[in-house]
Amino acid sequence: MAQRWHPDFEQLVDEHQSMVFSLAWRMTGDRGLAEEIAQDVFLELDRHMSRIESHEHAMFWLRRVTINRSADALRRRKVRGVDLWVEIEENHGATSEERSSPLSTRLEQLLSTLPEAQRSALVLRYQEDLTPEEIAATVEAPVATVKSNLQRGLKLLRAKATTQLKEYIRGA
Amino acid sequence: MEPELPEIPEITDEFERELKQAMVRRPAPPNLKRRILQRRENQRTAVSHQRTIWWQRAAASILLAGAIAGGLKWRQTEEQRKGEEAKQQVLTALRITNRALNDMNRRLTAHNRTDQ
Repeated sequence: MAQRWHPDFEQLVDEHQSMVFSLAWRMTGDRGLAEEIAQDVFLELDRHMSRIESHEHAMFWLRRVTINRSADALRRRKVRGVDLWVEIEENHGATSEERSSPLSTRLEQLLSTLPEAQRSALVLRYQEDLTPEEIAATVEAPVATVKSNLQRGLKLLRAKATTQLKEYIRGA
Repeated sequence: MEPELPEIPEITDEFERELKQAMVRRPAPPNLKRRILQRRENQRTAVSHQRTIWWQRAAASILLAGAIAGGLKWRQTEEQRKGEEAKQQVLTALRITNRALNDMNRRLTAHNRTDQ
């Protein structure tokens, strides 16, 4: 009989806070909101600790709940697009260690303009290195839908990057 | 000094590589863990407080229900006692009446004998 897993909540927070926070930030484009979501997700984890069976289960659970909570928050706020991202970046600017290269920042901005399903698929694919099957399990969608979202999201992001990043250079 | 302009990656695998680099996990805010633990503590305190209030209410409800049940029982017992008392009074009155009637009957019998 398998030995029951006894996780330490503080250790789980230590190990996964970066993942949860990054997922929430990239899904919402709002640093402050991402912090709130991350707190809510971990508090929910605390209430569900007895049902978590392993380290992998904890990671899977955290990813799924973070994506769902972020989507809920987005629907509540009806947040969309680059404008908000820019405003949020100005108001709730990242600390110096969180700042990334200008291109990375612009790519993240463009990512925040994608439809929610495509954005979550791309974030889970490129941030979390998940396979389409793992993404499908996380977002509770058919694998074919996830693959389609990945392809369409990537195509749309390429198109936006081609236009907007070229403009960025031309404007210099 | 002008900010360094980003290079546009080739829209092939290079783009995906750039995207992957852009999507590294960001470090969580340094105080995120402290806030989570603080909120967890606050929630536990609130839950404990709510439980205390719940138990107090439950205890008060049990006491109130006990008092009401006791009151009803006392009233029922009191009514039974009063009924029994009234019954005894009626029986006493009937015994007195019976004695008086017997006495009267005896006198009448004695009176009839005298007349004869």
